This record gives sequence, structure tokens and C-alpha cells, in this order.
Amino acid sequence: MDKNMRFQISFVLSRVLNSGIIMSIEKNEKEIKGLENAIAKITKLPYVSTFNSYTGALHGALQGNDIGHGDFVTLSNTTDQEEKFIDWLGITNQYAMEQDTFERFSVNWENIGSFEEDLQQPSTLVLDFTELGFGPCALMATEDNRMWEKAERLKIFGAFDLRTMWTQEESHPDLQPGIQFNYRISPLVAACAKLSLLKRGEMVENRFFAKTT
Amino acid sequence: MRWLRTDFLQKPLDFPSEEMVFESLAYFGGEPVLPYDNRKTNFPYITKEDVMQMLISIQHEPNNVINEFAEKYRKYVGANYAIPTASGTSSLHLALVGAGVKPGDEVIIPNFTFIATAQAVVAAKAIPVFTDIDPDSYCMDVSQVEALITDQTKAIMPVHVHGLPADLPALQQICDKYELKLVEDASHAHSASIHEQICGSIGDAAGQSLMADKNFPVGGEGGMAFFKKEEDYHRALAFLEDSGIDYSMSWIAAAFGVSQLERLAYYDAVRARNAKLLSDALEKTELFSPPYVPDGFNHSYNMYRIKLNPAKKGLDDLEDYKVKEAIQQLIMEEGVFAREWQNRPIPGHLPFQNKKGFGNQYPFCLSDTDRKYQIEDYPNTLAMFRNTLTICRELRSPIEYERIQSYALAFQKIDQNPDKIRKVAEELDAIQPPYERDARLG
Repeated sequence: MDKNMRFQISFVLSRVLNSGIIMSIEKNEKEIKGLENAIAKITKLPYVSTFNSYTGALHGALQGNDIGHGDFVTLSNTTDQEEKFIDWLGITNQYAMEQDTFERFSVNWENIGSFEEDLQQPSTLVLDFTELGFGPCALMATEDNRMWEKAERLKIFGAFDLRTMWTQEESHPDLQPGIQFNYRISPLVAACAKLSLLKRGEMVENRFFAKTT
Repeated sequence: MRWLRTDFLQKPLDFPSEEMVFESLAYFGGEPVLPYDNRKTNFPYITKEDVMQMLISIQHEPNNVINEFAEKYRKYVGANYAIPTASGTSSLHLALVGAGVKPGDEVIIPNFTFIATAQAVVAAKAIPVFTDIDPDSYCMDVSQVEALITDQTKAIMPVHVHGLPADLPALQQICDKYELKLVEDASHAHSASIHEQICGSIGDAAGQSLMADKNFPVGGEGGMAFFKKEEDYHRALAFLEDSGIDYSMSWIAAAFGVSQLERLAYYDAVRARNAKLLSDALEKTELFSPPYVPDGFNHSYNMYRIKLNPAKKGLDDLEDYKVKEAIQQLIMEEGVFAREWQNRPIPGHLPFQNKKGFGNQYPFCLSDTDRKYQIEDYPNTLAMFRNTLTICRELRSPIEYERIQSYALAFQKIDQNPDKIRKVAEELDAIQPPYERDARLG
């Protein structure tokens, strides 16, 4: 682990641990929601879904696009891991089509202050926060509410399962789940990612300060 | 300090008086056994050891932290091999794949469990085949298993539901006879054991959840897959490499696991003490029966399911699920959060009704048998849903003696009031049996 990175992680972790955030799911819904809200604000993509791994978020974006076993997707410059995962899902990648089905991007301590500037104005985005160093953490963000709903349906204890738990009423009978994975992120990891995004405000200010002095 | 969210209970609970049993029910305006402002339970407590462990762990490479935790917990369980995972669901998936389950295989599981058990089978691209439950233990009914075995059956995956070990000795005999793998779903069963052998180390493989509400919590979410044979362990590792799927545990979760593991024996002891106190109290009632535990089996009481006996109070002329609903309303008003925890057999949940799977009906389309997942096939489970209530958090550490004693008194108080139960049951609106409502996950 890089020394600079270790400092950033220690700083964020200390803040999270000293804020009184504990592990209980119910008490920490705010942390996961807070991370989703922060990403919606930065990316201008209003519907955000968290995952406990990059491949989980990738799966969510595929599901959101109704791409499942036996279907096709277009993703360029795929990594070896992406290729393997898509293949395991039974999906075929069609290279060199006009445009990727959705955009993917990895956030790290170098680009966290300005990563939105590097995005190609996507309508759907898979963001990987794993390189921040708190553990696997990723999100799918989209401008399409229906895509978000489909991605959430992929998750055991996603938004719709949680709603049914309390109301015992299926709110979306037209959108029924198939395979589900527990892609639920730890609230602690989500809290760390959220605080890292808040800290990025200081980085943006510093960058501005460096430019103007 | 107002910005700090505290775990500390703000008010001590008064020691309860046994006279409370004879007071008016809170539902009808009496004083509740547990005051409204003193019903909070916390778990787990984060102590300075957890924070110190985090500060120590951050000095190490993340993988070393995760490996340290996995090795310590593997030794505790007594398993030969372990793979730390992001969740209990992913650990079950890995356990099945490691045991050799391949696309199109069938895996026999109980219908009463958390949905993750069945979804892990589908994730392994296999077909779940469901048994009913034993009416006493609520675990897989072993007597049904052999009739469900086909040429496609690869494994049996019992669930140690609520923390009571399934009848693994009997299931192992069946596995030996038909050359099947035995995979434990030990998600509720931390430190549970059969003749002192800890769950997770008994079958060929096992999966276990370590999420925050479990008896052994790590930092929010996590799991562990266990294996008996080296070849199964390596098969699971090869799957992770070949599929590209990222099931890895966060090092933050692992660091908490290291320090929380030190306290697991304490958590277990408090939970066992609380379960015994409550069970002894329920034995003195007519209306309530505590969980059944076979000789030599150690129940870990992640949840505590109470059976209702309306006939012993002359209430058997009423629908049993209405009596249950009435008792639930009465006990909740006394301050005990008793609930259903599942209301419909898993085969009746939407993913198994629709069989969409990964898309285009895969892997269900691999089966030659058009399985009808019908809840009517599980009468023991339906009966259980109609006449039991579950308490989930009321036994866990650090529940104080005063609090568990209050829970016991609340049940004894309800037992004293069959006429009031009848009144509430008769006034209930037209409610459906639990399994006719939309399926809830927990």
C-alpha cells in the first residue's frame, strides 16, 4: 500500500470511527444513502445503486439494460476480469460497435477531486471505488429510473426487498426479480467512501488555490 | 459531543417485579412490562479493542489482514480450509461450487430458510429442490430427502435454521449412500455444534454469513466458506479466478472480525444464558413452548422461535393464525418485538415462481423436469407460519438480566389473559394467513 494512500485511508477511517457510526444496518442506512446522494450530485445522474464489488455494479448495469444470459453487450477496452465475468454471466461482448452500452470508470486518490471531468457525459455509469483502499465498493448511476429499478431488483435486500419487508406489499409487481445476489455494501465501507468524496471538496479547493497563487 | 452517535443505553432498566404478570395488559391501557423509552437493544458494541485493531490493521497490507482473520476463524471453527467472502450468500455459492456443483445439477435444500440459500444454488447455476421441514426442529425433514434424489442430484444443503444444527449425522448417511456432497448453510449457526463439533466443519463444505445482525458480526457485511478437502477448496479458488467475480471481503470487515472473534465466547455465553432463562419461563406457561433442542446438539439462538398452543387455553375454535396475530399485537405492546421472520415458503417467492434466473430462464431451462414450486407442498412450514412467533435480538449480548427477565414476564403476562387474546383475535379485520400475503425476506 502506498504511503500517501495509507495517510488518506487513516484520515478517513479515523473520522468515520470517531463519528459513532456502527455496523447495524438499520442505523446506517444514512451512510449508504449518503454515498448514493453524493454520487448523484457529482455525476448529475440522479439514480444511484451501491454494490459491494465492481463486478456487482457491472452486473447491475447489465441487468438495468435487460442484458442477461444469452444476450449481447458492447463494451470496449475490457479488462481480463470484465471479460471473464461477462462470459460467466452467459453474455457475449460485441466489440467495436458504435458506442459502449454504458461507461465504466475507476476512482482513486489521484482523480477523486475531479473525476467527473473525465467522464464522457454518460447516461449510465459504473463507478469503481475499490482503489480508494477501503475494500470492494462500486456504484451504478443512471439517468433512467427504470434502469435503476431493474438493477436494485438484482440485490437481495435491495430497495424493493426492504420495502416489502416493512409493508409486506409488492410495490412493483411488473418488475419481478430473477437471480439475486447479496451485493449489499458494508455501511462502514460506504461511510468511508462517502467521507472520501466529502474530503474531495478540500482537494478541489487546494487545486483552485494552487492555480490562483 | 452532540454530533457523536452513541451506543450507550441512556437509562437503566428497573428490575422487574413478578407482580407485573398480573397487571392489566398494555394493549388495553395498562403499564407495559418494558417502558416505551427503554426498549432499545444494541449489537454489536464497538469497543476500544475494535478501534485499536483497526489502527493496527491499517499498518498492514489489506490481504494480510483478511488472511489473518480467515485463519483465526477457520481454526476456531475447526475447518480444514476457508475462503473469506463479501457476504453469506457468496460464501454459500463458493461452498457449492467447491463441492463440485455444476450447471444443471440439483441441490436439495429446505423450503424454510432465508432466500439466499436458494439463490446461492441458482448462482451456482443449479436447480433448487425443496423439502418440507421437521415440525419440531424446523430444519430440513430428513425423511423426505431420499424421495427427492435423482440422477441430477449433486448435493444436499441443510440449513441450521435459527442456530439449531440440522440432523447432519442422518443426512451424512444419505450422502454416503448416494455419493452426494453435504454442504452446510451455517449462516445462523456460529459456535453451534453437534457433539461438540462446530457447524461449518462437519459437512464437505459450508457457507456462513458474518453480517451485522449475526451472532458473530464483522464490520457490517461478510461471510466465510469452509471446506473439508483440499481439492474442493482449490476448485472454489479456481472458480473465483475463472469467473472474474469479485467476492472479496473488505479488510475493514476483517479487522473487526479479528477483535470481535475474541468476544465470541462471551457473546455465546450470554445468549445461552438468556435462552435458558426464557425457555425455563415459557415451560411454566401453557400457551408458549420454547425451541426444541435434541440431545447433543448445541443451539446458538441467532433467533428464538416460540410455538403457540391455543388449544391449551381453549382458543382452538379460532383460526390459529388469528390467535398468533392477536398475541403478536399484545406482546409488542408489552415491549417485546416478536415477529414472523419469513411468512412464505421460499419456493413461493417470486424468483422461483418466475424462474427467470440469470435471464432467459437460465439455469432453470437446464432441467428436464418442469418443477412446480407450490407452497401447498410444504404443510409443516405453513403450519409453523400460522402458530409461531420469533424474537430475533432479544437474547443477544449485552442484553442485561433485567431485560431478559422482563421479556419472560411479558410472555407470562399474556399467558394469564386468554380472554383478552380471544377478544383481540375476534376483533381482527379479515386478515389472511401469513403465506397468502406478499413474501417478506426477513
